[in-house]
Amino acid sequence: MIRYRYPAMLAGATVVLAALLANLAFGATSIDLRSVVRALLAFDADDYDHFVVVYQRLPRALIAVFLGATMACGGAVLQGLTRNPLASPGILGINSGAMLFVIVGAFIFNLPMEWQGVAAIAGGLFGFVSCLFVTRMTGMSKDPRGLALILSGAVLSMLYGSVANAIMLASPSRRSDFLSWASGNINHVYVERLMDFWWLGALGLGLLMVLARPLTLVTFGREKAASAGVDVSRVTWISVGAVVVSVSSAVAICGPIGFVGLVTPHIVRPFVGASFARALPANALIGAAICLLADLAARTVFAPHILHTGIMMDLLGGLVFAIIVKRYYLSPGVREASR
Amino acid sequence: MPLLTCNDLTVSYAPSAKPVVDGVSVQFADGRFTALVGPNGCGKSTLIKAIMGFLPASSGSVLLNDTPLHGIGRRELAKRVAYLPQENYCPDYITLGELVELGGYARYSLFGGPGERDRALFMDALATVGLEGMASKPVNALSGGQRQRAWIAMILAQDADTILLDEPVNHLDVHYQYAILALIRSLTQRGKTIVAVLHDLNLTSAFADEVVMMHDGKVVSHSDTRTTITADNVRRVFDFDADVFIRDERLVCLPRNRTDVVT
Repeated sequence: MIRYRYPAMLAGATVVLAALLANLAFGATSIDLRSVVRALLAFDADDYDHFVVVYQRLPRALIAVFLGATMACGGAVLQGLTRNPLASPGILGINSGAMLFVIVGAFIFNLPMEWQGVAAIAGGLFGFVSCLFVTRMTGMSKDPRGLALILSGAVLSMLYGSVANAIMLASPSRRSDFLSWASGNINHVYVERLMDFWWLGALGLGLLMVLARPLTLVTFGREKAASAGVDVSRVTWISVGAVVVSVSSAVAICGPIGFVGLVTPHIVRPFVGASFARALPANALIGAAICLLADLAARTVFAPHILHTGIMMDLLGGLVFAIIVKRYYLSPGVREASR
Repeated sequence: MPLLTCNDLTVSYAPSAKPVVDGVSVQFADGRFTALVGPNGCGKSTLIKAIMGFLPASSGSVLLNDTPLHGIGRRELAKRVAYLPQENYCPDYITLGELVELGGYARYSLFGGPGERDRALFMDALATVGLEGMASKPVNALSGGQRQRAWIAMILAQDADTILLDEPVNHLDVHYQYAILALIRSLTQRGKTIVAVLHDLNLTSAFADEVVMMHDGKVVSHSDTRTTITADNVRRVFDFDADVFIRDERLVCLPRNRTDVVT
């Protein structure tokens, strides 16, 4: 009856596993795969390679997996709900809002680290809601391509980012703690935050999976979904909340790393379709793989210098952004023809 | 026994504005195909949307088998009444099989999905609309006529006894208009109650059992096609002189004078 695309899922899982092993094996020193596997399964505290794998690379890899899964699922849901190919947590103000609140909380209210997760979620929600608010103010919210939404999000993201930077730069003694986080960086020391906040991401993704079917119906339009039996407002707001919580928890861990949320849904959709029951797991897998590879690239491409993963991602993402703009915005015939 | 009843239903888009549906009382007969006709802006679509609860009624009520239809929750309403909007949007890459499966959403539990009975119903829905074996095709890759049948299959998968359709043959060529209306008409033989907004009076007379003719938010006439589609009613509601005649037991309605119809 339905296209079960187990082969696609299996391929996705294989890609993640390969990316994970590559991430763990390559770096300043290359470690052969057998040692990597042995380090994971039979850790030897006296073996330096094992130490590198388990205490330096594995934490980074786990953060990358968490980041990729939450951002990609968030992007898929936002693209579906807004019907806009450019929608993603990074562009609709969630990332920058979360970052702003974390910085304000830490620098102005001296929030301890455990509370930064709460600040990030409040900020993510603030960022997204303010983006919707500004879109409405432009009076163009009925504009079919949702350009106003994307532009409001981009403008607010820049605004929040610059305010956060200004606050950081104003206190030279403490800014070094946050400067690298604020540009989006995966660092093995952030693994403590992963321990603190991982359950928020898991909760958000779990909620989205439970709502997968009604959420898919909502992407058909309000009346269509309601007539099929969906409580549209409730499903929309719970899933937006789940996206904000999971994405903001990722921002709380490694800063605003955006483009994986924009790019992954476009890569995944042609293979597994637009039904969230399969699109969400596939996005989580491929998003994780992309972040693992981006992290690997950030560590190795410009060796011995280590780039911030966020910068690496922006490099890749900028390119893909241009392709999406060209495909969906500059060639009006494409989408109409595909209807 | 009448199934779907509107009692003195009034709907306005703004509190002070003139009502779009103005005190409409109408009963849609069980197991019949009722066509809603009338000029643009007469309140046909608004009536359907008010029945679905998409627009709040400022007064009046909608009853299904003598129980109020609103306030029972979306899920319960979806089990009883299905609706096909005038314009339907399907996200890219959604397949026909997925579309039909989503149609049955109201019957699924929070963590469950379709069961044996549901799957049998999906196969039956696809066979009914003549799209069997195409479940793995993306909906947006289907032709216009096929796509309209796909939406009807989704509604059949919903398994509601009452089906409301808003201009179901819009944008279709004549062949598909006939095919879709014949399909919709055949559903009454399965005990479905059909209410469809239609524009073409000849299509209406060819396929519908009953006609509700609306004008300015009010029901002007409600009866079988021959009683409702008369030269007098057409003059009054559509503002042109019509020749209405019966040929081979079928009602035909054409403008009397080609230059007479002024905008």
